[in-house]
Amino acid sequence: MRRRAILAYLLDSPGVLQKVSMLIRKKMYNVDTLTVCKSRKPGISRMTITLREDDEARVRQVIHQLEKFTEVISAKELDTEHSYWREAAIIKLEIDGAQLDALRGDYNFEILEHKNHDTHIIHIAGSTRRIDAFIAQLGEEHIVEISRTGVAALEK
Amino acid sequence: MTGKELLLRALEKRGVRHIFGYTGGAIMPVFDSIDKLGVFKFVMSRHEQGATFMAQGVSRASLSTDDPQVGVCMATSGPGAMNLTTGIADAQMDSVPLIAVTGQVATGVIATDAFQESDVVGVMMPICKQTYMPLEADEIEKTVHEAFYVATTGRPGPVVLDIPKDIQNQKVSKDYQFSLENFRPNLPGFFYHPTPAREPLKQAIELINRCERPVIFCGHGVIGSNAGKLLQSFAEKTRIPVAFTLHGLSAMPADHPLSLGMMGMHGTVEANRAISEADLLISFGMRFDDRVTGKLNEYAKNADVIHVEIDPSEIDKNVATTVAINADAYRTLHVLVGDPMLTAKPRRRWHARIEEFRRVMAADLREEIEGGLGVDGKLLMKTIVSQLSEMTQGRDIVVPDVGQHQMMAARFYNYQTPNSWFASGGAGTMGASLPMAIGVKLVRPDERVWSISGDGGFQMNMQELGTVMEHKIDLKIMIFNNGYLGMVRQWQTLFFDGRYAGTPMLSPDYGLIASAYGIPYRKIETLDQIAPAIQEAIELEGAIILEFVCDPSEVILPMIPAGGGFDDMIVKRPQPRKEGGKR
Repeated sequence: MRRRAILAYLLDSPGVLQKVSMLIRKKMYNVDTLTVCKSRKPGISRMTITLREDDEARVRQVIHQLEKFTEVISAKELDTEHSYWREAAIIKLEIDGAQLDALRGDYNFEILEHKNHDTHIIHIAGSTRRIDAFIAQLGEEHIVEISRTGVAALEK
Repeated sequence: MTGKELLLRALEKRGVRHIFGYTGGAIMPVFDSIDKLGVFKFVMSRHEQGATFMAQGVSRASLSTDDPQVGVCMATSGPGAMNLTTGIADAQMDSVPLIAVTGQVATGVIATDAFQESDVVGVMMPICKQTYMPLEADEIEKTVHEAFYVATTGRPGPVVLDIPKDIQNQKVSKDYQFSLENFRPNLPGFFYHPTPAREPLKQAIELINRCERPVIFCGHGVIGSNAGKLLQSFAEKTRIPVAFTLHGLSAMPADHPLSLGMMGMHGTVEANRAISEADLLISFGMRFDDRVTGKLNEYAKNADVIHVEIDPSEIDKNVATTVAINADAYRTLHVLVGDPMLTAKPRRRWHARIEEFRRVMAADLREEIEGGLGVDGKLLMKTIVSQLSEMTQGRDIVVPDVGQHQMMAARFYNYQTPNSWFASGGAGTMGASLPMAIGVKLVRPDERVWSISGDGGFQMNMQELGTVMEHKIDLKIMIFNNGYLGMVRQWQTLFFDGRYAGTPMLSPDYGLIASAYGIPYRKIETLDQIAPAIQEAIELEGAIILEFVCDPSEVILPMIPAGGGFDDMIVKRPQPRKEGGKR
């Protein structure tokens, strides 16, 4: 199913996140990713939700019902053609230093910590697909722990 | 001043006259202040659910009067608040403004599983329009006014205020000030578009002028915005027939020549067939609920749809619109009726077609109503409602419960008074009638109010007879007793091979119940007893209970089976099957 990103600006008050997630549950979706941060306006948060749905009309429904909440100031869909979707990941790896270096040419990552000769903590940012590709190329067996932020999106 | 006093001051400013509820540990301070203040009439329900429906009755019935009020109910924390949920969810489904105030345990012990603690905000959030939990006395007045604004603006709905006990008692800060005149709710995300935009309106008029087989839909929004008269003149001006949703009933006289009656699952043949063949639906203040549309992909396939609706999230939700007008029904109709571009066409062929539809069931129904008795010689609900309608000239207020008798009351009472029909629709809450009728009677004291219930629904909230007794509420209570949950039984007859699982039920001796509450009672078993009993109820000052012994095999037709399309409409009564249930 197609991945959709919904951008919402909402009041930064207790319970709003619960309302949003409750609506998504009520519409029988599983939240793919959900990121919240402060917006430039004090007291207003910016939320990016991704979920999977092929039917355009159903996505519009979710957006309308989100906008019905008095706390939601506006909501809209961001499609991949007209917006950037990025996420970041912090990964703890057990990998040979040389092997990691070999990936440098293709991927732009930062080594945050080099604990002993083969334990690294790295940071990588990019599209979901790019991070997935990085992990695939790295090999799952090298990953000790991974933390991904979920999608943040911005209109072009 | 303390929090509780500010709460009551705000309620008083908002024109609240009645408070319905039930006290308890966490709301005691507020009740104490109600008593001291002495400006509200406090009506104690016998169960918190009753209080929510009484408050709904106030909101629903008063909105067409000169003095519209918002119903207020109050309960204590924990079980008290939880008992409000059904009535609040019901108000949300039916877009009824309502303020529910609940006491909460003191802030110091919140989230410690204190005695009678429950997460009221968490529970209420998905079933109401908004929830508030003020955490300082200084916030209370502002919060209450915002709550009223949210409850009554745009598409109305219930709002819950959960106030911790220590905040009720807290003194306001020294420099506390509040002025209602300067109060503006701070709701940057709350949008409200009462006025119709010009462009879609022009498109709508074009469609209306062009169409050949149009139908007007009258929904709850027409009642809610007091637009019945306007809708009627719009229909008369354009000569377009009107079909009603359950909540649109009584917006204009039921016997108006352009009226098609109720649409949907138990709607009339003429309404449903007309919708099937229509080329334009002009719908005002309704939401194309599944009971109205049946199977969506077969619904009004050849029709363009004009949807006038105050809640933008309802537009295109179930039925795709051709022209969407996100505005208030009253204002839209006001502009439409006055628009010189709107023309009238006689549409003779369409009206002749509708006359054919009207004849499909007319003879059967007339015969049934005139016969008045079922196969077992017991009374038919249709006949009782028809007689009531005749004897009251359709001018009284009807508050039905939920089920078969509700559909009978919707179909066979000849509504003449605007806004005189109040029912639990979207949620379909059995037991709503008796408490709701109490609230209705309190704000419409000069009109006669009939609470009609089945034996199932009546037993769900009959404890509220205590409230009727205590406050001497002049209600005419009808119980249609057929010993079954009639509507479910009808489905069992039609779709479950007549196996009556879980529907037969015994009733107590309602005569004894009535006398226990000091309420006069009559049992009506034969046709010739109906009129005298109704006459007695009309003449009597004060409450009376009339129990009608009804035929359990009576069905309400036509019926569109759940999930079926309009072509699946059942218009002929099926052959009686063998009795499956035990008595």
